[in-house]
Amino acid sequence: MSRCRGSIARAACVFLLCCFLRPAYAQTFTLSGKVNDTAGHPIPGATVSAKSIASGKTYTARTNANGMYSILDLSSGDYQVWAAAGELQSPPIKVSLAAAQTTDLTLSPAPSAGENLPNAPPQQKSETNPASPSLSDLGFTTQQTQSNAQLQATLARRTEMLKIHQRLGIITTIPMAAALITGPMAKAKGKNGEVIHEPTDANLDLHVALGGLTTALYFTTAGYAIFAPRIPNNPKHGGIRWHEALAWVHGPGMVLTPVLGYMAYSQENSGEKPHGIAAQHGTVAYVTAIAYGTAIVAVSWPIHLKFWEKK
Amino acid sequence: MRFTSWPVIVLAAASATSPAFAQPDKVYVLDQSTLTYHMSHPMHEVDGKSTSAKGKGICHAGQCDFLIAAPVKSFDSGDTNRDLHMLEATRGAQFPMVQVRTRFPQHEADNSTFYVDLEVQFAGQIAHYDHVAFQLTQQGNDVHIAGSVPATCSDFKIERPSFLTVPIKNEIPVRVDMTWRQQ
Repeated sequence: MSRCRGSIARAACVFLLCCFLRPAYAQTFTLSGKVNDTAGHPIPGATVSAKSIASGKTYTARTNANGMYSILDLSSGDYQVWAAAGELQSPPIKVSLAAAQTTDLTLSPAPSAGENLPNAPPQQKSETNPASPSLSDLGFTTQQTQSNAQLQATLARRTEMLKIHQRLGIITTIPMAAALITGPMAKAKGKNGEVIHEPTDANLDLHVALGGLTTALYFTTAGYAIFAPRIPNNPKHGGIRWHEALAWVHGPGMVLTPVLGYMAYSQENSGEKPHGIAAQHGTVAYVTAIAYGTAIVAVSWPIHLKFWEKK
Repeated sequence: MRFTSWPVIVLAAASATSPAFAQPDKVYVLDQSTLTYHMSHPMHEVDGKSTSAKGKGICHAGQCDFLIAAPVKSFDSGDTNRDLHMLEATRGAQFPMVQVRTRFPQHEADNSTFYVDLEVQFAGQIAHYDHVAFQLTQQGNDVHIAGSVPATCSDFKIERPSFLTVPIKNEIPVRVDMTWRQQ
């Protein structure tokens, strides 16, 4: 018995150890920073290299118009990092990567072959054609080539919010469909007064709960789209326009449906057949659901189902 | 007289045989272009096009250096929302240009199918594609080049966007259709 308990404890320890160790192996980091010349001017188009001392593998990135670089997905460990641009080069520095790190590099004229620094990366003979074209030869405007870290951060925040909007939006379809299905079961009488179903408390409660859940999920979903950051100078076209236009149908519908539902419920409770605008509760709910479904299809268009194809 | 003319003859012979002199610089400018990336998902097949690329090529001393660049945000897939997501996923605001550089021997362009090594700078990363085939047709001063660059998301460390929790395919081949004009 005690041996058995010991084995279970050992297995649990191994399992826990695996759980703790696994993420450590999979974790990667970003090495980023700025490349300047000795006067502090940013150097666009410089090649930044990070050579893993353990594996010998070299990872490269190029600086943007502001001299910024990012080398992504580096494993933890020691790296030799240097930058080069034409005749300019930075002395290699050792970087121990254990978290995302910022390392700025300064370029100065490369030393001649005789004055190579110890442990310097192998010098590559430049084979650049002196007449080879550069980005500045192509006539792009500064606005087009300028890096914009703030816009990148805004885009990231926007994408994150819209991802939640998308997931919640799809989840919302489940209680919405269930509320539509349970709707007739919560009704006392049909159009001509015939008894459809006895509106038991259970049926009504279920329908009201599903309706309430749908409404709560719907407005949470909508909030993630409404409050997602806007990107200026970006006229909309494509399926997103239909997606947004249809919100003017299902949005008011989602406000109106529970209100009409409450009115119909009150009328039935007082022994009346739902009448007036309250009688349209079901119709409004169906129109709302159709507009909602169409909005999902519009933003997913064009749909080509190819699940049967081999990957 | 006989001895003094030797250097002249040697110089003339050297001038005639040296590629630098035999082949004067040729400058090409990108006149028209369509770059199209193809994105594949079990529910979607999407093409994003850009006609905003600019390029310049210089052939000097028997070697040709070409540079083609396009703003990442100029790619249009037919839906603003998808294009903004692409811009975010490819870090397009931080690294707004996609640049392609290539260097090849000038005689390579004499063939209707020619192979070049490409250096593609995109999303803050550099990827190399060797021996990429392009079809070349010449019409007067215009050179039409078509081919496909076998790019993948992982080459540029792009996290693949997903829809309904299914990510897009890693392969995002870029179809290139360009007309260059010799200046």
